[in-house]
Amino acid sequence: MDLRYTDEQEAFRAEVRAWLRAHVPKERLPTVGTREGFDAHRAWEQELGRAGYGALHWPVEYGGRGADVVMTAIFEEEYAIIEGPPRITVLGRNLMGPTLMVHGTPEQKDRWLSRILSADDIWSQGFSEPDAGSDLAGLKTRAVRDGEDFIVDGQKIWTSYGTFSDWIFALVRTDPEAPRHAGITFLAIDMRSPGVEARPLVQVDGRAGFAEVFFTDVRVPATQVIGEVNRGWDVAMATLGFERDAPSAPAGRFERDVAELGSIARALGRDSDAGVRDTIGSLYAQALAYRWHTMRTLTRLARGERIGPEGSVTKVLWSELERDTFAAGRELLGPYGEVLSDEAPQTDPLRWHSKYWFSRAATIYAGTSEIQRNIIAERVLGLPRK
Amino acid sequence: MDFDFSPEQLAVRDLARELFEKESPPSRLRELWSGAERDRSVWKALGQAGLLEITDPVDLVLVLEEAGRAALPEPIAETLAIAAPVLAEAGSDWVPRVASGEAIVAVQLGGAPFVVDAGDADLLLLERDGELHALPHDAFTATPVQSDDKARRLYAVNAHTGSETRIAGDAGVALDRGAAAVAAVLNGISMRMLEMTLEHVKTREQFGKPVGSFQAVKHKLASAHVRVESARAAAWYAAFAIGAGLPDRSLAASVAKVVAAEAEAIANAEALQCHGGIGFTWEHDLHMWMKRGKALEASFGTAAEHRARVAAHVLSEQADA
Repeated sequence: MDLRYTDEQEAFRAEVRAWLRAHVPKERLPTVGTREGFDAHRAWEQELGRAGYGALHWPVEYGGRGADVVMTAIFEEEYAIIEGPPRITVLGRNLMGPTLMVHGTPEQKDRWLSRILSADDIWSQGFSEPDAGSDLAGLKTRAVRDGEDFIVDGQKIWTSYGTFSDWIFALVRTDPEAPRHAGITFLAIDMRSPGVEARPLVQVDGRAGFAEVFFTDVRVPATQVIGEVNRGWDVAMATLGFERDAPSAPAGRFERDVAELGSIARALGRDSDAGVRDTIGSLYAQALAYRWHTMRTLTRLARGERIGPEGSVTKVLWSELERDTFAAGRELLGPYGEVLSDEAPQTDPLRWHSKYWFSRAATIYAGTSEIQRNIIAERVLGLPRK
Repeated sequence: MDFDFSPEQLAVRDLARELFEKESPPSRLRELWSGAERDRSVWKALGQAGLLEITDPVDLVLVLEEAGRAALPEPIAETLAIAAPVLAEAGSDWVPRVASGEAIVAVQLGGAPFVVDAGDADLLLLERDGELHALPHDAFTATPVQSDDKARRLYAVNAHTGSETRIAGDAGVALDRGAAAVAAVLNGISMRMLEMTLEHVKTREQFGKPVGSFQAVKHKLASAHVRVESARAAAWYAAFAIGAGLPDRSLAASVAKVVAAEAEAIANAEALQCHGGIGFTWEHDLHMWMKRGKALEASFGTAAEHRARVAAHVLSEQADA
């Protein structure tokens, strides 16, 4: 056991920190729910890409830096601590890119990988449907072969960045007669194709971050099938595996957020309240325990091991820590919690307000806590499925 | 960065597991529960196996997890995590006797009202007014106190301290070491309670199905597992920080104790709930682990006390910033 970072890693941290301090926009970017905001975020991501920070963990042959998981985690942590803008490239970078590297044809890789890296193509993920969220295999969007194309009809929902994204990787049903998992195909669809309509959905946090996406007779070339027709479930499982193995929520973020609870307590004159201190102590302890848990995971990934179903432990930990931290903040703010202006005696009530509401999504997206617990129970603890 | 154990460390863990299973099976725990005298041969066997010579906290932390898994009724955390380093730093001639298993040491820190195993101890290490004292058995008296966990022998101690019993050492550091060590033991207890429960719910059938196939049961055990896994990482880190003398070792020890006690409380509750009525009987082994867990939640600082220490760190750090 040796928890020191190498000189090279420390130097990389210093480099990243200095670069981010100099370049992260001082003013918060406008919301991604508007065209202007989305373009501003894209421009920021393009700047990151030009500086070599687009996708550190991608292999050099695909334009990445071939950074190992520790360096990638260092970057993610520094990015989180300085509160860089949300990464609208996350789905392309962490899910579609790695999926293409494994399942894409040479033409598909040439066509898309470098554009993901440069943020010229922003991808969204078309897995969820109104009747198929956690029950992913219940999806109904259909794709019917017509010559060299597929004709796609159906609807996706809760599509992050879906309103203005350039591409969507979607699961579509290509064989309605086959068993649920056997008739699904993984398809890349150009969001500018005729018949694609993305409508922004206003979220509970008041922002228009995600969308519902409608497909009406959308013509998609069969060359945009990733993997084999009717074998999309396997590709999707690989994609979700990349999600599990991707650097998870960096711990530094939670330490910062709990420390900010301390600032709020101080501003409200409640920092000597025993109950408040107990909550802060518990949350900070959990945040540090999460940090050390992720070091365990990083050690395994650095050795080339896959994380597999144990990744669900990490997801439950960070999503519930996020939820609990902001719930504690909301409670601490008391009557100031509902005020959407600068009336509250702390630095940035609006930020805390929107983060509180967004934290309520943490236990839903990327696999609900209930699904994660089923995975842990059945695949880690070995409990019977039925 | 490498947050894992070496093959040698894992081999020592395996040795400890085998030895604890052999020397201290649940049947022996039951004997102690029925009032049997302490058998010094167990402690000597640990000494002969070399387990009492472990000085590196990282080498020790997995052994302590195993001690928890076995609900080992021996003062291994107190001896190895606290007494051994204090005595070694003070240059005491007790060191070889402790390392060989010849001597048993009891430890009283942080104003704890009762002392585990003081009645059998050859040496008592205690804190008075922030200073450490080491007393041979004729310098103190130990009166047995009935405890909830009957394999955990508690004593009220009457000790005569003076300049002649004082030894060098930092009581605060000793308490940190104790908190971190007990955290590792608690994690082992949690692991064993979950193992027992998993075994039970996989075989126990209700409504024609194994109880473990019901989602409500699955989610309880998954929740406990999640918390125990992060608590293990925290105890490992605390051991590393203490061994390496890192500036955050005291914080890490408190964090380890907080999350281990919180995880154990969840595992304890869910283990009984998922065992149902069977788990509520003395015939079943579960209660011996539940009681050890509950006892250790308050050992070397309650979770609430350690949460307060963590909060003080968060709030004072901000004042400095």
